[in-house]
Amino acid sequence: MYTRNFRILILAVVSVFLMQSFAQNNWNVPADKKAKNSYIKFDAASARQGEAIYNKNCASCHGNPGKGNSLKSLKPIPPDLSSKGTQALTDGELSYILITGRMIMPSFKNVLSEEDRWKVISYIRSFNKNYVQLLSKFDPNKAKLVKVSMSYDPKTKQVKVDVKANEKSGVVSLKNTEIALFVSRYFGKLQIEKNQITNTDGQAVFNFPKDLPGDKTGTVELVVKLNDENYGEIESATKLKIAVPTEKPGLTDDRAIWNVLAKAPFWIIILYSAGVLAFIAVLLYLVMTLNKIRKSGAKK
Amino acid sequence: MSEKNEKPKKRTRREFLQDIGLVGVGTLIGGSAIFAGINYDKKKNAAERVRVLTAENELLEIDKSEASKVVKPNLENLTYLQKQGREGLPGKRFVMVIDLSKCRNARKCMAACNEAHHLRPEQHHINVLKMQDSKNTPAYYMPKPCQHCDNPPCTAVCPVDATFKRADGIVLIDNERCIGCRFCIAACPYSARVFNWAEPIHSLEDEGKTYNVELNVPQKKGTISKCLFSADRVREGKLPYCVSACPNGVYYFGDENEDAVTNGTTKETVRFRKLLEDNGGYTLMPELGTHPRVYYLPPKGKEYPFQDKDKEEAGERLES
Repeated sequence: MYTRNFRILILAVVSVFLMQSFAQNNWNVPADKKAKNSYIKFDAASARQGEAIYNKNCASCHGNPGKGNSLKSLKPIPPDLSSKGTQALTDGELSYILITGRMIMPSFKNVLSEEDRWKVISYIRSFNKNYVQLLSKFDPNKAKLVKVSMSYDPKTKQVKVDVKANEKSGVVSLKNTEIALFVSRYFGKLQIEKNQITNTDGQAVFNFPKDLPGDKTGTVELVVKLNDENYGEIESATKLKIAVPTEKPGLTDDRAIWNVLAKAPFWIIILYSAGVLAFIAVLLYLVMTLNKIRKSGAKK
Repeated sequence: MSEKNEKPKKRTRREFLQDIGLVGVGTLIGGSAIFAGINYDKKKNAAERVRVLTAENELLEIDKSEASKVVKPNLENLTYLQKQGREGLPGKRFVMVIDLSKCRNARKCMAACNEAHHLRPEQHHINVLKMQDSKNTPAYYMPKPCQHCDNPPCTAVCPVDATFKRADGIVLIDNERCIGCRFCIAACPYSARVFNWAEPIHSLEDEGKTYNVELNVPQKKGTISKCLFSADRVREGKLPYCVSACPNGVYYFGDENEDAVTNGTTKETVRFRKLLEDNGGYTLMPELGTHPRVYYLPPKGKEYPFQDKDKEEAGERLES
């Protein structure tokens, strides 16, 4: 009996060591992030959607899972994501890696939403037959209860963000939540200051830069993003007239030698026209002189 | 007459009550029917409200009856595309920042570009060059697209206004106007332009397609082609083909007027002037006064070493 128990113990210890050697624990994922699970059920549909996201964002370096066609010129070589090492990681660890990135792996924090990230992980898991999903009980619809309001104080040049949730039991402030403020730009969102933690009233204050250009009237679109444990990923936008009014003329407005004919510099138009006129004048003079000679010859 | 009239009057009390009852029930039924009808109409109307996205990116809800279809300009129309391509996007001044310290010579930018613009493998709108400035300085990889100069020598020499600069800074070519004189190739100090000497690679598949001046597709034999800052993608608010294809975060692209550039890999947006300020940004050949719209960050603190196999090519023009 003892020997049997002992054997089981040895087997357990060995398997734990093996697991650890497979698992790439050098990512140093915090324990709470490691235990995070997806609220999306991993099935054929989510894996299919994840595949499209994977092919667009991940395949250029990691290759197709199971094909061993990752980009070998990189150092370290990006692992095949169907490999045991990757599959030994928890869903939370994979999600954390996607968010933070490391060394040559870029961060996908701004590229993929939480939903997209879980879908990619769903696709990666579809290569592991032994995988059993631990589904999170989180309800993504709770995000709809949250209301974000923003106000600007011109004296202190600060934007105050207020986050409240309209629960059935009454209005609840989202305290101790990490919150990020962005300004919409043409190709992406520009973050204002660093992430802040909301106070007990669910408020956070950001210093707004004095020199940030807005549109003609100085209006900018402010976007608040937060990921609360209870309410999930929330994004809210407001337009405020707080930036520097900017109206730069088009680059082709001035007359220049490189511009189109209608925008040619006056000196070119004058010189060129004068040259053409002079040429025509010379021709006319020649014709007239020749005509004079012909006439004087005809008289005789 | 009066008697006859009085008789029915006596009966009217009962009739009156009957009538009242009838009218009452009738009103009740009719009223509830009308009420139901109004309610139904309301619901029906609510269902016929539609959501529309305005040009300012605002989501509005309006009655379907109030909505009318926008007459789309005929995008297939060549003249329309040519005119649209000449104007550029109002209020924008596009810039690109290339971080040389991040380039690993993956050449994904070149592949994406060649695919988008239907170029032969030896034709480059963007080319990752192997550079070495002098004997003792380190070699580095340098992607080089068209610089989209603010004082472009190429458009100054074009005799037919085929190549032109737009209000948003992008320099384009209209292949329908180009006569293939190649003056612009000679004028460009950055060797940014390529010539279609041979029949373009996809000429068979592209036959019959309407030429898009913002994409240079279909390519045309005997005319010039060059980097377009992906003017077709930029019009849709998307990053250029090369910028979004890079796996190493080399490229930033954005609007100088907004003072923001977005990284193609991480999609992180940063202040344009601060990025240049903090990293010592520079332009190529500033002594020529061409004022490029492509900025470089020096290859400082490279994580990826220059490969030995590329060293010979990088140093081939250096005196030994």
